[in-house]
Amino acid sequence: MASNDKRVPNRRDVLRVAGIGGVGLLAGCVTSTDDTETETDANGGDGGDGGDGSDGGDGGDGGDGGDGGDGGDPYQIGMVDSLTGSLSAFGERNQRGVELALADVNDAGIGGRELDIVIEDSQSESQSGVSAAQKLVNQDEVPFVIGAVGSGVSLAIYQSVVESTDVVQLSQNSTSPDLSNYPGLLRMSPTGRVQSGALAQIIADDGYDSVAVTYINNDYGQGITDAFVDAWDGDVAYNQSHDQGQSSYSSVVSGMANSDADAWLFITYQPEFATMAQEAYSSGYDAQFYGADSAKGPNIIENTPEGSLDGMKIVAPSAAIDQDNYQQFASRFEDEFGNVPTAWSAYAYDCVVTAALSIHAADEFTASALQDTVREVTRPEGETVTTYADAVEVLGDDGSASDVDYDGVSGPIDFDENGDPVGFLQIFEVQDHEYVSTGTIAAE
Amino acid sequence: MSVLEFVANGLVFSSIIVLASIGLSLVYSIADFANFAHGDTMTVGAYAALVTFGTVGTLGGTVLGLPYGFFVALLAGTLVAALVAVITHKVIYEPVDIGSIGLLITSIGVAFVYRSVIRMGFGADFTEFGIQVLRPIEALLPYGVRVTEHDVAIVVSAVVLVAALHVVLQYTDLGRKMRATADNPDLARVSGIRTNRIEIWTWIIGAGLAGAGGGFLGLFNQLSPRMGFDILLVVFAAVILGGIGSVYGAMLGGVLIGMINQMMPLISNFGQYAPLVPNEWGIPIGIEYANAVAFVIMVVVLLARPNGIMGESAT
Repeated sequence: MASNDKRVPNRRDVLRVAGIGGVGLLAGCVTSTDDTETETDANGGDGGDGGDGSDGGDGGDGGDGGDGGDGGDPYQIGMVDSLTGSLSAFGERNQRGVELALADVNDAGIGGRELDIVIEDSQSESQSGVSAAQKLVNQDEVPFVIGAVGSGVSLAIYQSVVESTDVVQLSQNSTSPDLSNYPGLLRMSPTGRVQSGALAQIIADDGYDSVAVTYINNDYGQGITDAFVDAWDGDVAYNQSHDQGQSSYSSVVSGMANSDADAWLFITYQPEFATMAQEAYSSGYDAQFYGADSAKGPNIIENTPEGSLDGMKIVAPSAAIDQDNYQQFASRFEDEFGNVPTAWSAYAYDCVVTAALSIHAADEFTASALQDTVREVTRPEGETVTTYADAVEVLGDDGSASDVDYDGVSGPIDFDENGDPVGFLQIFEVQDHEYVSTGTIAAE
Repeated sequence: MSVLEFVANGLVFSSIIVLASIGLSLVYSIADFANFAHGDTMTVGAYAALVTFGTVGTLGGTVLGLPYGFFVALLAGTLVAALVAVITHKVIYEPVDIGSIGLLITSIGVAFVYRSVIRMGFGADFTEFGIQVLRPIEALLPYGVRVTEHDVAIVVSAVVLVAALHVVLQYTDLGRKMRATADNPDLARVSGIRTNRIEIWTWIIGAGLAGAGGGFLGLFNQLSPRMGFDILLVVFAAVILGGIGSVYGAMLGGVLIGMINQMMPLISNFGQYAPLVPNEWGIPIGIEYANAVAFVIMVVVLLARPNGIMGESAT
């Protein structure tokens, strides 16, 4: 039955994607021609970039002549995103971040050229994600792929498409601790391991030495829980998984109550957590609740009794909400789309800016050159910059990657040797039946 | 924690399963196919109740913590589920003359249609009736039983519905005709029973009970377009365990499967609850395998009684 359930939306999605893709391709052809024209015009008018233009015209200079041949063509990179499927909400947020980032990058330009992103749909599934990445790497021959959302999809793309090439892969939203085992696979969102560590720290700081944990029976739940148990010094009185989409979780709730632990940690999705919170309430159990980021959402607040969650603490990946550049990003985002950005949009924004900077700093537009610059542009020992325009100014015409340290709207980034960023985590507490942010912590 | 608590939880969950499995078994016995759209019929009933409850409001007073309006909504959910099933029967199942396997596949398609229509209208997110969730009944806490008045309402309503069905089947003209049709449709027809009408009544009763079960499931848990489909597998296990086609078997199977589902922690912590055995004894199996265990027990029972517990006796 389950396979039947999936098959029908799939077929519809495929058709829809094929349709959109077809239209997109046509539209892409038309737009890129237009862009080339305006680009050339802009170059002509722009005095500062005029030098490049004359380089192109100067036939005597062989090496630069090659560059000039490309002229105003935009640099093309790829992105695999969850435009449809179970993670499409993330995909939508990503696209908004990408849109803003592209506007910023193309305002300043990359050495006079623009950035163009070919976006492919992963349908939130590994198989489609891999085909999308194959298309980008083999047909479009992009040296830089941003992707994907789901951890399983990112890993599948890395293992079957990217690993054997020099192509740079930068995942925008994957948080599974497993991804740290693949140093070649970069990501913008902090690993779940730090979330687990932060949870362990917070629960210990609150004075509990025994905890009951329940987690959703999949890679995500298992990964976060294993990392939590590693980081937790106290006693784990209850540690059991549960299946998604069950009609009742009262045996989970009574099991947790039976463990006599006063701190309960939920690493599960929103409907499952809402059911458990209700069942705990209607069974009269009182405990201090903790949760991973997936157990937070407005529909949980709406669908649980007033007061039943008060005091619950949740750790979630966060953008650098105290920084000026994030606040500018947030207000622009609100003007453009009518709501506040989530951390996931900020990660996508930073992916695009990081890609643009690594192209700008590289000597040539090839995968191996970008491999050298992508990590450097966000790391310290350069001048700290917080916007793309500032970074371009510092880099100038011939700056090298180590001259800048881009601190994005999502945090300092600073990719480590595993390809994981230094991000921020935000702690939320439920007060008067609303999520209230009680602070951020840097996650390394 | 006392064994009584598990029994109480099991009883509440069983009530919902029983309502769903009776309808499934009834339809199987008379329309002669396994209706995979049955779970989604529950969803239809639940959402119809949601809409009605939103329209009529609470209507003043409450019974067992439930506003009068909820019972009106439940009735509306029952009627809408029955109506949708009858229309589906008339428009789809009756005209397609392809035998029971063909009808089974058709019903899977019908299930998708129900679910998609609900998803289009209400979105994929989960929602609630918006009835205040209650705290457990104080008087029962000393016994270790933690149930709310809502849970009591679910069990009582299920018992009333099942008793009413029993009366209908055993003591009314319609019930006798239904049993006759289930037993031998051809003989029933030549005896002057209008089996077409009986079939429609079967759909009304079966889908109506499913609609009521859906309403209770929404109260017990929450409403989402997948709610009925997610519980369908358990309902099938109950029906097959009881003996498919037998209404009383479905009741028994529903209670058994619901109990097993909720009593899983007893299996892994067996020693703590049973006398005379060490506390550490138990079968180390996580509660996420509740459905698997239910099916294992079903298979074991079927090995001993291939037609299910009540399989031999007709309806």
